Amino acid sequence: MQHNQFNEFEIPPPFVNIVRAVIRNRKPIIVGIILLVIIFGAFFQIKPEELGVVTRYGKYSRTVEPGLNLKIPFLETVYKVPVERQQKLEFGFRTTGTGPAQSTYTKTNTKAESLMLTGDLNLADVEWVVQYRIDNAYNFLFKVRDPENSLRDISEASMRQVVGDRTVNEVLTVGRTEVASSAQAMIQRLSNEYSLGVKIDQVVLQDVNPPDAVKAAFNAVNQAQQEKETLINEAKSAYNKVIPKARGQALETIQKAEGYALERVNNAQGEVARFNDLYKEYIKAPEVTRRRIYLETMNKVLPQLGNKIITDKNGSNVLPLLQMPMQNTNTPKEN
Amino acid sequence: MTKLKLIITGVVLILLLIAITGTVYIVNEQEQVVITQFGRPVGDAVTKPGIHFKVPLIQKVNVFDKRYLEWDGDPNQVPTKDKKFIFVDTYARWQITDPLQFYKRLTNERGAQSRLDDILDGETRDYIANNNIEETVRNSNRTPVTTDSISEPSSDSLIRILVGREKIEQMILKTANERAADLGIVILDFKIKRLNYVEEVRDQVYKRMTSERFRIADKFRSEGQGEASKINGEKERELKSIQSVAFKKSEEIKGRADATAAAIYADAYNQSATSKNLYTFLKSMETFEKTFDEKTSIILSADSEVYKFLKSMQ
Repeated sequence: MQHNQFNEFEIPPPFVNIVRAVIRNRKPIIVGIILLVIIFGAFFQIKPEELGVVTRYGKYSRTVEPGLNLKIPFLETVYKVPVERQQKLEFGFRTTGTGPAQSTYTKTNTKAESLMLTGDLNLADVEWVVQYRIDNAYNFLFKVRDPENSLRDISEASMRQVVGDRTVNEVLTVGRTEVASSAQAMIQRLSNEYSLGVKIDQVVLQDVNPPDAVKAAFNAVNQAQQEKETLINEAKSAYNKVIPKARGQALETIQKAEGYALERVNNAQGEVARFNDLYKEYIKAPEVTRRRIYLETMNKVLPQLGNKIITDKNGSNVLPLLQMPMQNTNTPKEN
Repeated sequence: MTKLKLIITGVVLILLLIAITGTVYIVNEQEQVVITQFGRPVGDAVTKPGIHFKVPLIQKVNVFDKRYLEWDGDPNQVPTKDKKFIFVDTYARWQITDPLQFYKRLTNERGAQSRLDDILDGETRDYIANNNIEETVRNSNRTPVTTDSISEPSSDSLIRILVGREKIEQMILKTANERAADLGIVILDFKIKRLNYVEEVRDQVYKRMTSERFRIADKFRSEGQGEASKINGEKERELKSIQSVAFKKSEEIKGRADATAAAIYADAYNQSATSKNLYTFLKSMETFEKTFDEKTSIILSADSEVYKFLKSMQ
């Protein structure tokens, strides 16, 4: 019967021989298998990034380091906790894949996580990442049920409390790093309160935006701010164009006045010196000098004159005899 | 005979197995246990992990979690004191501290969750409805950091609050714990996880935000214009001041020079009557020289000295 079966399954002859041998020596083989199971159940490996927490019939027994370790099979249980691995929780987005150069994200169904009220009752869309490590494997395993979900809850509550205490302007611009560090401190504080056994390495704010519906208005504010700067700069440049020039011109005016003053005084001194010299001579022979000067002047002046009309003593009759040649020939008096 | 022996051995073995599994039970690190006999709790709760024993068959093991357990509130629509509709999502962490009492009052976790729903949702509703919206959003009266160096739009200040979120959470926690005192549980923490305007008002909020932003933008623009005008005014003032000061100074300098010159002249010309005469004479001569040119016509009397002079020239 058995023989027929083997033939039916077309098992080649060497295997048939092995199976026969196994059946013949089944007792030692069964003992061997049991031994193997016990050995495999007794040895276990802890990876370099992990710690192993061992419980003996349910009760915490010891924590073991990375490497090959031993336990009592069936009675002891091992929990492997990746204490060295940095883990992260994402809020407002989810990484869907990590390529060699670029990661892909999705933002479907995460609006409720990221949309939050700011202290001045505006709405802001805040996306962030919490990076953490398990630093107390015992607490992480036995103190809180679903520690990761607890950490999510804590993170959301903390971020909202921090953002709720700040203006929308702060959250969007100046306060970003401060928001992240405050949130990190609060998440760590609550994690300790809950005995989560985690250490928050970093809270990183990703995109922080006003909601889509009001983005345009926020941009308008930025634009207006730029316009303001431009207007002020233009005015300043106009100021700078005019004032230094005016300062220079003022100096010029004053210098000119000083020049005038010098000239005026020097001229006066010169003229007076000349007058004094003349006066010295004049008082010696006043009449003669006077006459001389008078005639000298006339000598200089008269040849330049145009019409010269001579009248008689009474000033009524024009004497024709001494009509001086006229330079302005077309004056009406000639006719 | 051997067949009977085999059966007896089998039965004994099975009985032994039942006895062992029914007697020995393991309490895990994160568990605590209440032993019931025909549904009635027997003895104290077992909170220490490890191997424990009980009477087989008639006693039953009821396992409860010892860890902090989650409670997630239903997102609730609640009106605030200032009649703003918001939705609030809360969470809490709680722990079974007295498993015996817990078993008696709530039987299992599902019972506890529904009791917590009643207590916490109710308290949340009460406290939120008794406070203005700011009190639940904000936590402290901190002074916001402002950006711009020139001036900041007035809307960037935060109005004063009296209570704040953490205090409200603590009050809810306290009242809820009082109400849950006989349930064998302790609520460790209660927090508002999410809080937002309800969908229907959100559009209005966006409208308000938009108008607020435009107002800020207008303010920036008018500030810019104001600042520019100020600078422009300063420029004009500076310009006039520079020019007029220069004019004043130059006139003063000129005036002083004129005075000095006049004094010099006067000193010389006023020496005596003769010097005065000489000066007058010289001046008139000078005037002749300066005022007479080829366009001037002169009428000379025949007996004037000039005429004689002219005649002599001819």
